[in-house]
Amino acid sequence: MRSILKDERWSKALEQIKLWARQNSPWAIHFNSGSCNGCDIEILATLTPYYDVERFGIKLQGSPRHADILICTGPVTRQARDRLLRIYEQMPDPKFVIAVGSCAISGGAFDGCYNVVGHIDEVIPVDVYVPGCPPRPEAIIDGVVKLLGKMQGEAES
Amino acid sequence: MNALQQAQDMLTEWVEAWTEPEENRLDAQVTPANLLSAVKALDDHAWGYLVAITGLDAGVEAGTLEVLYHFCAGPAVLTLRVTIPREQAAVPSICTLIPYAGVFERELAEMFGIEVYGTPDPSRLFLPDDWPEGVYPLRKDTELD
Repeated sequence: MRSILKDERWSKALEQIKLWARQNSPWAIHFNSGSCNGCDIEILATLTPYYDVERFGIKLQGSPRHADILICTGPVTRQARDRLLRIYEQMPDPKFVIAVGSCAISGGAFDGCYNVVGHIDEVIPVDVYVPGCPPRPEAIIDGVVKLLGKMQGEAES
Repeated sequence: MNALQQAQDMLTEWVEAWTEPEENRLDAQVTPANLLSAVKALDDHAWGYLVAITGLDAGVEAGTLEVLYHFCAGPAVLTLRVTIPREQAAVPSICTLIPYAGVFERELAEMFGIEVYGTPDPSRLFLPDDWPEGVYPLRKDTELD
């Protein structure tokens, strides 16, 4: 068995299977670190049958331990910072982060407020940014699909 | 009779000055010592209800803070304005008369550093757990990094 695992062809095939599985079932968890709820409503709208994101295998998970993608909204408040880090650390590797909305990208209207630490990538690394205030469900789906494309690109390089 | 006129009649004894900032609004200047009596007069006559307690910082030069108690009755808004010095910022609690005022008083205390003496629960309400003591974010002279 050990000799098979060391075989380069075998490990390459295994990587391809992992990538295939990851791309076809991007399970997500949604976290609001201080958003006004506008983006959260759009994320919930995205998950409705009208947009049918399950055709991409996208599914909202209840626990960060079962999720691959962290969909973050809002600026990071001082109170939410530790919670955001905790959720990020609970997710199994490889993990991906999508920042949804203007505030997640730059702090938006909340930037400089006394209880705001800043935007999301000041706290955790972000893979995809979805601008908008709030972004439309189509834009959020596009963000997830772009992330799936990015996974492909990273696997090929 | 107009609700604000009723309030004016009830409070003549306790109010120093009246102003009408706009239609359906009446501001009453009250001293900290007369605050409880004024609130009690409104409470005894069941005039409206307390909607919010807000703070106002006019700046360091002014040397004062203001505490505003907003009461509503239909479209009418009555505001009791209490002016206090910055150095000894303190107002009495009105929780003995209006128990739910506690949450407003906790917010006032943590945001403006105004001591509300006699409030049943003086703990913080909104500020983060790791917020430093003695930093009041809504005071004009608070430096934020």
